[in-house]
Amino acid sequence: MSAAPWHRYYPDGTSPEIDELAARHVPELLGASAAEDPAAVAFTQCMPNGMNGSLRYSEVERLSDQFAVYLREVVGLVAGDRVAVQLPNCLSYPVVAFGILKAGCVLVNTNPLYTASEMTHQFSDSGARALVIIDMFADRLPKALASTGIETVVTVRISEFFPAVVAGIIRATQRYWSRSLPPVSVAHTPLRDALEAGRERIDEGAAGPAAYLEGVGPDTLAVLQYTGGTTGVSKGAMLSHGNLVANTAQMLAMCGTHLRRGEETVLTALPLYHVFAFTVNLIGFYHMRGRNILVPSPRPPSNLKRAFENYRITWLTGVNTLFNALLNERWFLDYPPRSLRASAAGGMALHQPVAERWREVTGTPIVEGYGLTETSPVLTFNPLGGTVKDGTIGIPVPSTTVRCIDDAGNVLPAGEPGELVARGPQIMQGYWQRADETEHALVDGWLHTGDIGEMDDDGYFRIVDRKKDMVLVSGFNVYPNEVEECIAAMPTVREAGVIGVPDPKTGEAVRAYVVADDPAPSPDEIVAHCRESLAAYKVPRSIEFRDELPKSPIGKILRKELRTDPGPATTSTNDPGSEEASPR
Amino acid sequence: MSTPLHTLATQVVPPADHEVVTQFEQVILIVLVFVIMFGLGAGLTPRDFTSALRRPWGLIIAWLTQFGIMPLLAFLLVLGLILQLPSEVAAPLALGALLMGAVPAGTTSNIFTYFSKGNLGLSVMMTTNSTLWALLMTPLMLYLYGTRFMPAGLDLQIPIANIIITLVVMLVPVALAMVIRRYYPNVGAVMELMGGFFGLFFIVFLVVTWVPRNWVLLSGTSWQVYAVTICLGLFGIAVAYGIARAIKMHPKDARTVGLETGIQNGPLAIAIILLSFPASPQLGLLLLVPALYSLFIVIVATFVTLYFRRANLAEEQKIPSLL
Repeated sequence: MSAAPWHRYYPDGTSPEIDELAARHVPELLGASAAEDPAAVAFTQCMPNGMNGSLRYSEVERLSDQFAVYLREVVGLVAGDRVAVQLPNCLSYPVVAFGILKAGCVLVNTNPLYTASEMTHQFSDSGARALVIIDMFADRLPKALASTGIETVVTVRISEFFPAVVAGIIRATQRYWSRSLPPVSVAHTPLRDALEAGRERIDEGAAGPAAYLEGVGPDTLAVLQYTGGTTGVSKGAMLSHGNLVANTAQMLAMCGTHLRRGEETVLTALPLYHVFAFTVNLIGFYHMRGRNILVPSPRPPSNLKRAFENYRITWLTGVNTLFNALLNERWFLDYPPRSLRASAAGGMALHQPVAERWREVTGTPIVEGYGLTETSPVLTFNPLGGTVKDGTIGIPVPSTTVRCIDDAGNVLPAGEPGELVARGPQIMQGYWQRADETEHALVDGWLHTGDIGEMDDDGYFRIVDRKKDMVLVSGFNVYPNEVEECIAAMPTVREAGVIGVPDPKTGEAVRAYVVADDPAPSPDEIVAHCRESLAAYKVPRSIEFRDELPKSPIGKILRKELRTDPGPATTSTNDPGSEEASPR
Repeated sequence: MSTPLHTLATQVVPPADHEVVTQFEQVILIVLVFVIMFGLGAGLTPRDFTSALRRPWGLIIAWLTQFGIMPLLAFLLVLGLILQLPSEVAAPLALGALLMGAVPAGTTSNIFTYFSKGNLGLSVMMTTNSTLWALLMTPLMLYLYGTRFMPAGLDLQIPIANIIITLVVMLVPVALAMVIRRYYPNVGAVMELMGGFFGLFFIVFLVVTWVPRNWVLLSGTSWQVYAVTICLGLFGIAVAYGIARAIKMHPKDARTVGLETGIQNGPLAIAIILLSFPASPQLGLLLLVPALYSLFIVIVATFVTLYFRRANLAEEQKIPSLL
């Protein structure tokens, strides 16, 4: 049997090897699409009540040029400087992200829901010199910036680039009704001023992106995408321009004729700071001259109702949680989008009943893929229009080899589970300033994923288990260490063990086992404590008190044993009793 | 006991027939409701209506609670409370109360449904449905429960004009707004927001203008009448909501059924009385329950809405605001 039995399953017209890179760097790839049809709408941001704003391809290009010039000429950044971006899905995201890449700088994607201490770690580790942040979360800045190298802060409004009246109403609602605009106490520049300053420099004859990109090629670092990897230490995966350009082509190759140039409208409900939406939705669909419908927050799922009503959505990318949530919404079931052509799932396992139900309800294919932050992210996908095997992660994308190996590093034959290792043009350059971690993950050009999988005779892969203890909540990695440390910091808590338990909504949910002295904190107190320093998805969903935790001879908490005896879910504190889940 | 009741009868009659709800006030209300529905309608799509039609169960339940429970509830309240009063005041008060139980849902229910995060499409359909049925059911229910309180030879007039106004004020702006929203989502969203603001203003306006002007009436009324007017709306909402939850209706729909059932068309009841008893010396007493009901239902529904919103938010906020 060949080492790559999957080759015959590629969609018609797809070559097992992608051609030469379509562009030397991401801005070149993007610019080519914009030049084809500058007047086409590239992005539309749709608020839960239907308020919306849009940017055309020409506007995205012009505004991102201005931002690039601002970063280089006004702020004084040089090629390779890191710029952190902390934005939800909004029209500013592409302007800022593309601007950073056009300036020859490095984009550091940051989750907007991070707490001050999480922000500090990511900013100082990446050595970011500038930060672009949504104004709603700017109250964390004084605490977060204290020990970082960030000199410039640019603030963004959620209603940026909306029609003036609508923007004003959204602003007033935020300020006076929901009171979600904290005062910004650090020196900052509003995005519109930054763009204006950039425009002035262009008018004065500043060099511009063409000059900044001269030294940029496929091997130039483009993005630092933070992840815990297999060890749990938060570190930046170094994704180059070549990684991203290659992975875009690889992903598109798996879509066959389902993804038509210039005709697709994709609903982007996944956050763009997540590598899956970043590569697939932002770069992939922009490259294919599609229209992105950006939804700032898909929670509650009814926030997506207006987007489905007002736009002819042809594509949807998401995680299992999102598809499952939509399948529990009455408005969606009554009127599944007729324009939909296909959906792609990643980030976490797509549950088979969800996949089947989705096809039944929408009458369109849904395929599951697999990848890691370290792989830009797509490694494998079920070929759209080809043989789809539910419960598998599909076949490796073109120019990619995936193998199962045993602990000694021997390649295993089909049907035998082992650690998945992968090689291809999308594999990261390494971890930012962490040679030891890089050495651990990248061995002779093969990325060790830490996931245990097996291949069938056709070359389709299936994930059997995770080597690491990471908990996957709706596609977001939660590392037990971090949560355990946080809980154990409470005065009367002796120790804590954290595992993931199956959850119908989020795939997995965080459960904590706590050993406490009298007076023991209540589950609510523990949750409240965690909320102070952990992002919401990391906070335990359920907490159980134990007299002791199972330990190894050297005293390491045995999470494996907790998993085999999870105990009753009696002290569930954080149960998502959403009314949408009730019978009707 | 007889002294305060006597004063009630004498003090109240003169102002009541033309000032409980003045002509001007009625026009203002109609205009306001029109504007509000124009705004709230901008949040609707045809799918919201067809969705409700796909589950006719909701409409059937609402019909049953509307014309089954509300008249019965009014009747029980009359038996338990109004009949404690001397018969010369009890008969007209009872008739007013029974009529209040027999009229269809009012447009105000749509506004409260909106603020309760209920199912606005269903609410509009329920109001339309019960208003049309009222032509048959309102007299039927009144004769069923109220024959013994009626003066001989009464010709009960259901004002068609009023029925039409109720429907027009609700359906025309909703239809217009839906068309606007379809083509200009931004305009629609702004209108919806404005409709919400007007709705709040409307509720405050009703309470603030009505209470001081009718202070004399309020201070001279016996507790039984207060109890009837408050309980009719409150129990109506509670019982209908309880039934809807018990048969496992979606919480959004259950809130809607509750509010639709408990919130009656007060102005319609007043118009029926003015048309059917034009020269009655007891006009003031006949109007008392519908007038007080119209005031208290706003207050009751406001509290119910706050409760529904809190329950609703509590259920939705437990999930982290991520995926």
